[in-house]
Amino acid sequence: MTSRPRLATEVNYVNGIAALALFGVLAYVFVTAGLEPPRGFGEGSIVASIGYAMFDMLDLVPDAHGNTEGFLVAFLTIAVVLDAALDGAVMLARRDDEGGSVQAATDGGQPLDEVDDAPTGADAGTTGGDA
Amino acid sequence: MAIVTEYYLLLSAAVFCIGLYGILTRESALLFLMSVELMLNAANINFVAFAFYWGNLTGQVFSLFTMALAAAEVAIGIGIILVLYRNFDGIDVTEAATMRW
Repeated sequence: MTSRPRLATEVNYVNGIAALALFGVLAYVFVTAGLEPPRGFGEGSIVASIGYAMFDMLDLVPDAHGNTEGFLVAFLTIAVVLDAALDGAVMLARRDDEGGSVQAATDGGQPLDEVDDAPTGADAGTTGGDA
Repeated sequence: MAIVTEYYLLLSAAVFCIGLYGILTRESALLFLMSVELMLNAANINFVAFAFYWGNLTGQVFSLFTMALAAAEVAIGIGIILVLYRNFDGIDVTEAATMRW
């Protein structure tokens, strides 16, 4: 049996009116803001300038766009944050009750108990974890 | 002829409000995560639009960092949803009303 996307009927539409009202307010403010035409970017490669700005080396590029700032500290901070997020995701996904590796429930679309020759890799992993 | 900045702002407001609508109306944690991503990307549209407005690449570079932050947030968020599913047999955020169970 396949499932198909269905229109959500159990949705609380009344709360959504707040989002519509916020869009109305924002649209009114933006349309009546009276912004100048955009300055745009001059000559030179934008991608190259982004790369140089990311490593705080904008003095090397001759035609830097505007007074773009350097982002080396932000780059390193985001690198640490991504590493911490990877560790956090693994910590959250690990089961507490089972010490060994988790065996896959399916193998190529068919359940593992229906497979005649069970994959030796998964078995070796679980027995190795128990031992 | 460059597109005026107001149109970018309207697009960003629309994407943000779609995300807010999803958060206010849905109860599934996965849809919550998608809605938060929409709101985050609305901020990205603003960054890029105002980078073009000022002729300055700071906003574009910062939007890249926002995308990386969104990736980190999704990694943690999906981990939290996994734990939610394990402890409550579902990802309905209204069922997980207590800090301890």
